[in-house]
Amino acid sequence: MGHRLTIGWLYSDLMNIYGDRGNIQTLIQRARWRGLEVRVLELGKGASEGIETVDVFFFGGGQDKEQELVYDDLLETKAIHLANAMQRGAAFLAVCGGYQLLGHYYQTAQGERLPGIGLLDVRTVAGGKRCIGDVVIESDAELGLQPRTLVGFENHSGRTYLGDGVRPLGRVRRGNGNNGEDGSEGAVSGNIFGTYLHGSLLPKNPHLTDLILSRALNRELEPLDDSLELAAHNWIKDRELSGSRRA
Amino acid sequence: MTPPRLLAAVLAGKAAGTASRLVGQGGGTTLPGLIASRIEPRTLALLAERLTAGSVLITGTNGKTTTSRLISSLLQGLPARVVANRAGANLVTGHTSAVLAGAGLTGRLRADWGVFEVDEATLPSAVAELKPRAVVVGNLFRDQLDRYGELEMLALTIERGLEALPEGATAVLNADDPRTAEIGYRLGERTGRLKVLWYGLDDPSVAISELPHAADARTCPRCGSRLDFQQVYVGHDGDYACPTGDFRRPERDLSATSIQLNGLDGVRFTVAGVQVGAALGGLYNAYNLLGAFAAGTALGLKPGYMAERLAQVPAAFGRQERFLHQGRRFTLMLAKNPAGFNEILREAERLGGGRHFLLGLNDRIADGRDVSWIWDVDFELLAGECAAETLIATGVRAYDLALRLKYASLKATVDVDLNRALDQLLEAVPAGAEGFILCTYTAMLDVRALLVRRGWLRPYWRT
Ligand SMILES: [Zn+2]
Repeated sequence: MGHRLTIGWLYSDLMNIYGDRGNIQTLIQRARWRGLEVRVLELGKGASEGIETVDVFFFGGGQDKEQELVYDDLLETKAIHLANAMQRGAAFLAVCGGYQLLGHYYQTAQGERLPGIGLLDVRTVAGGKRCIGDVVIESDAELGLQPRTLVGFENHSGRTYLGDGVRPLGRVRRGNGNNGEDGSEGAVSGNIFGTYLHGSLLPKNPHLTDLILSRALNRELEPLDDSLELAAHNWIKDRELSGSRRA
Repeated sequence: MTPPRLLAAVLAGKAAGTASRLVGQGGGTTLPGLIASRIEPRTLALLAERLTAGSVLITGTNGKTTTSRLISSLLQGLPARVVANRAGANLVTGHTSAVLAGAGLTGRLRADWGVFEVDEATLPSAVAELKPRAVVVGNLFRDQLDRYGELEMLALTIERGLEALPEGATAVLNADDPRTAEIGYRLGERTGRLKVLWYGLDDPSVAISELPHAADARTCPRCGSRLDFQQVYVGHDGDYACPTGDFRRPERDLSATSIQLNGLDGVRFTVAGVQVGAALGGLYNAYNLLGAFAAGTALGLKPGYMAERLAQVPAAFGRQERFLHQGRRFTLMLAKNPAGFNEILREAERLGGGRHFLLGLNDRIADGRDVSWIWDVDFELLAGECAAETLIATGVRAYDLALRLKYASLKATVDVDLNRALDQLLEAVPAGAEGFILCTYTAMLDVRALLVRRGWLRPYWRT
């Protein structure tokens, strides 16, 4: 175990917007730099072969139309496999649309509740104004991340609310996060991570990437030279927290 | 007679234009329109009515500036007097400024044609004000989604704009773009009265067989199945069909065949029985050239005339400019989204190894505030055959860019300061070699301003 990493990319063709590919590339490279052999399993509509070998799932965001297209397949073909994967300790990173679909439901503006697959104790309600912009959060202390901050970019209209079964990924210092009301951003439960942050998320947050990788592989990882990653992280963090952004 | 309020608007707008040019605030591309519209909100519509021949609108995510300039050139050669908005000034205030520049102090318009590039999201209002005779819709690549929400919304907005076209107008549509095609199909089904002229490329020898990662319209707009692509030309533009049979590339009224690419120096092809070529490099310029040719066709221009006229287009016409400095060649190119960027990288790959690049990434409003799209650019191309020798990342988000390159196994130096980055490039390029400067929109404006200040380029409102 541990010489190989298998990434399961859910709906890579349909749920791949806002540079989700950057998250995949970061997982791949940081595993390779540690001498692991990496395999990426693209899990499109109808596909489930090999799903039991996946160490870490990535589920990105999509446009509304594309989200509708994967919806039935997610519930009918994937849900049971993903629940099994969660049981055996596989890691999940779900961003934006993917995050919403891992929750209990998405309630449309008309009040209709579209069920999600319920791996995360969160619910999402359609919102009015889109939340768009750079985000800086202070990650949840229980994650033990160093540095504490996470940076990214959000672009969503859904408002997500957390249940008792999850902890937030962090507290918003800049931006809106889950719903723009309670200061929370993202959700974590066991090895499942949901968030609204893209940007892409993982490249500029190498500490989070390594946390997810080590959870997926169930082992410690040797450190890498992250000076460029952290330079990019700090640059945007400092700009956003100092409020010096110009148009 | 010019109504007094319009006259006041024209005078105030023109005065603002002169003033902003004098104090060096750029080319007066939007301020005159803004001032005039405050006095008379209908300035644009009222002045546009005075165009003797009418107007043409150009929209789509990539290539509208080049296509607009080509159409202007076609019309000017007739000869005719043309007013056109400047690059990037593609909102209503930019259009208004353009017609103001063509108006006399009495409000009389000294122009026959208006040629306007239009921001995709504002097409409905532009159609309402300008009542164009033709609208060109090029492509709909993922671009600045953080400004408009989502691509689907954008397609519907464009559809709404075209639906409101006046009787007898033509929608000139790129058949190779699935989203543009769907707009045309739906319009045909719903209104039936609209004239559509389809254009597209038909030459497998210049196509790639696979969609690049950046392609974002891979699915059938009807049923969501993955589209089968026989050919891919640029981004997601190509020859496609849905495996379920409910959607396919429309038949082309104008089809470009026998396409010859000559690096960044030019492109030529056969269309409507004539050879068309211009000093604009890259396959993406084949689309711009063909789009302009198609617009000309819709307006009744003859193929032979257009071929002759387009052949005379100067190289600096596109969104690429070249200049010589101290025996070194430099090419300045706008690269604002994955599709455009990948095209340029593919072109660089065709040119072979040993290249020097300065890459500029900003995240201001005009660039798009979300820079995550750089992860959809195939920078890995630079690690392969063409083995970039120098990579310098600059602009507001230089670190993001350098990080993207790191994960493509490339090493870049970072300098957020453009001035120093430019000096670095000059130092890196050996005599007789060529350097490429690829930038997002506002980074491009910044680089250009610097180059003008250093005396290597002329200011754009005088060219
Ligand atoms: Zn279909």
